[in-house]
Amino acid sequence: MLTVLLVDDDAEFTDVACTIIEFLGHEVLTASTLAEAREWLSKESFDHILLDFMLPDGSGLHLMESLQPEQNTRVTLITGHPSVKGIIKDMCGPNIDYLVKPIQREDLESVLQGKKQPASKRSTTAITRHFGQLIGESAPMQELYKLIGRVSKTKANVMLLGESGVGKEVVAAAIHEASDCEGTYVATNCGAFSKELIGSELFGHEKGAFTGAVGRKEGVFEQAENGTLFLDEITEMPIDMQPNLLRVLENKVVIRVGGTKAMPVNCRVVSATNRSMEEIAESKVLREDIYFRLAVFPITIPPLRERKEDIPLLAEYFIDQLNEENGSQFRWQSVQLEKLQAYDWPGNVRELRHFVHRAAIMSDPEGSDIELPKTIESPFAKKQTLSTGLKAGRTIEEVEKELIYATLEKVDGNKTTAAEMLGISTKTLYNRLHAYGDLNSDSE
Amino acid sequence: MDEGEFARLQKAVHDARRPLNRITMQSELIKLALEGAVPKDKALAALDKIIAGSKDCSDSLSDLVAQFSPNVNDSGSPSE
Repeated sequence: MLTVLLVDDDAEFTDVACTIIEFLGHEVLTASTLAEAREWLSKESFDHILLDFMLPDGSGLHLMESLQPEQNTRVTLITGHPSVKGIIKDMCGPNIDYLVKPIQREDLESVLQGKKQPASKRSTTAITRHFGQLIGESAPMQELYKLIGRVSKTKANVMLLGESGVGKEVVAAAIHEASDCEGTYVATNCGAFSKELIGSELFGHEKGAFTGAVGRKEGVFEQAENGTLFLDEITEMPIDMQPNLLRVLENKVVIRVGGTKAMPVNCRVVSATNRSMEEIAESKVLREDIYFRLAVFPITIPPLRERKEDIPLLAEYFIDQLNEENGSQFRWQSVQLEKLQAYDWPGNVRELRHFVHRAAIMSDPEGSDIELPKTIESPFAKKQTLSTGLKAGRTIEEVEKELIYATLEKVDGNKTTAAEMLGISTKTLYNRLHAYGDLNSDSE
Repeated sequence: MDEGEFARLQKAVHDARRPLNRITMQSELIKLALEGAVPKDKALAALDKIIAGSKDCSDSLSDLVAQFSPNVNDSGSPSE
């Protein structure tokens, strides 16, 4: 992220340019005169100045005198006349270039890309982002890339299954990226809307359809025309709304709430849930007919613990990103990457990313060492341990032992309380612990 | 064309280019809105500004024609 000063006396231009520069991920301040710009320079330091050539109180070139050479600020002169190019060329140092009006977003993007840390940039580009989104070279990820590649060549609806934090939305964006479609990618979360609003969000509404519908609204199906619609947390959609969704999926037409006109829709629907297929079937959170419409091609995204070899790559990528954003120079040590790799990451890639971010905040910004906490802990870790304990294929004795130890841990080793929680006598608990070889005679 | 005329021409072109610059940027904003990156109401406001900018540009061009019509004196105002 750069801090940019935009100096231009055209208020409408600065207003819209600010929105675009902020969208490009930079912070921007504005000045409409030379005097205002000088005032900003006396208070703040800027990575980049976008400077109009003709200002009400003089030429923008006069601002050069106010720049501190040690701050290494880049300057882009904005001019209405290409002939200014020659003048600038003569006075140009390596930090000055120009843009000729009218300006486009790509122009702003390319001039603002000029000042980046070359070292961190190199390392970022060394990590391959598959389909422009996904990171990982492990066998489960190669399989995932193969599936994305195949399904993107078709128009089939895809259902993404995977634990929370595995990157379902990123995979949805990757499918869109890999598809040769003209339309846009639109994402919405079915769990985020009330029963009353979800119809309007998905299908849109006509003006006056209900109290508060002050204007016509396009639904996400319409917005994603010829593109991809990502419906996250599909299993959280109220069951009584599902017939409406089914109708759209079957008939490929949508009727806005309060409307009568059926409008054709043409988009790929990628849905996602963190429930397993068995759970979907058992809990009846999704109607069977909808499931088969949405899950024409189901893809299960592997949890991070099943692709541990990707952990160092992801950790490198996240730290490179943070270095680039904050101008830091953090580097992992191999022993730290081994530590990250040894952990199970029940919160998956999301947890790893947050952990790296937290570690970067904790570390000295002037140095390159990353400070890791002594232990990696997550509120999800215990839940994970217990849920893996209930998988088929284990003996009752194994599960019983695990439950006893988990209960003891919960009550800080108090055997009387643990026995009460387990619904067994204290004597039985002692017998079990004896059998596990965990008690000797004097501990009783 | 003498120096005075050329300076007037430069000024008129500068004035006409100003709304064009606004129009380009407002169009970029609409593209962002269509991509879902900014709210749609911003796109609607941007379209209104494009219409206003186009009228400004047209006015500037009319001024330019008026300034260089044969019935204009050296000061740039139409002769009576």
